[in-house]
Amino acid sequence: MIIWLLLLLAGSPPSKTYTVEIRGMEFHPAVLTAAVGDTIVWINRDIVPHTATADGRTKWDTGQLTQGQEGRYVARHGGVARYVCTLHPTMHGKLVIR
Amino acid sequence: MLAIAVLLALTSAQQAQSPAPDLSDPEVAHVAVTANSIDIDMAKLAQTHTTKAAVRQFAATMITDHTAVNSQAAALATKLGVTPKDNAVSQFLQTGATQARTSLEPLHGAAFDRAYMDREVAYHQAVLDAIDKLLIPTTENAELRKLLVDVRPAIATHLEHAKQLRSQLGAPARTGK
Repeated sequence: MIIWLLLLLAGSPPSKTYTVEIRGMEFHPAVLTAAVGDTIVWINRDIVPHTATADGRTKWDTGQLTQGQEGRYVARHGGVARYVCTLHPTMHGKLVIR
Repeated sequence: MLAIAVLLALTSAQQAQSPAPDLSDPEVAHVAVTANSIDIDMAKLAQTHTTKAAVRQFAATMITDHTAVNSQAAALATKLGVTPKDNAVSQFLQTGATQARTSLEPLHGAAFDRAYMDREVAYHQAVLDAIDKLLIPTTENAELRKLLVDVRPAIATHLEHAKQLRSQLGAPARTGK
């Protein structure tokens, strides 16, 4: 039993949750480093709606987030994932997944 | 034309050695709601006249965003017990919008897209100028001023989006109307 517990603890680290605030028509932070299995939560603090939408091969999308709403994505693959707000294409963000 | 109208209002105030026309808070609220409503109406016109997906998407964003701002403005006005009051700046904006609509309505396709995006660039620049030089400086209520400050980045983003989209549409440049 003890050996089993030790093996379990020695396995992959617990996943974390990171928050990206959308305020002033920007993603804060604009670049976020996380690990596979971590959860990224976007929360919209602006008056106008936003999305966080993958701009690459991997497809994910929070959908439209109105003021105060949250959207989340669990990182499944390593690499760099660029994303945009589809409503405001001048807004960009980047996830670096280790 | 709209930009010129707002700038004329600002310029005449400067000539009178005043930093900006002295609008009351109910008048500021009216200008804000009018400015949003004008762009919503213009976007609805664009959705019936454009055949380009990017222009249609831009127009949809204008409707979504300016509707959200007007909802906040209405909620704040109710909370503060303020009834928006018509004034000369709102009337300038409305007159400019009527003239812009008259010139846009007969156009279709690429000609409409270029004229509409020219107008959106000029309009958002004029609204930004009005926020900075007229509306924020003259607003007394802190919550109404905060709403204007919070809205400003959205207007600046719309302006950049409009400029990018306009640059993708190519010549001819605006005629100066």
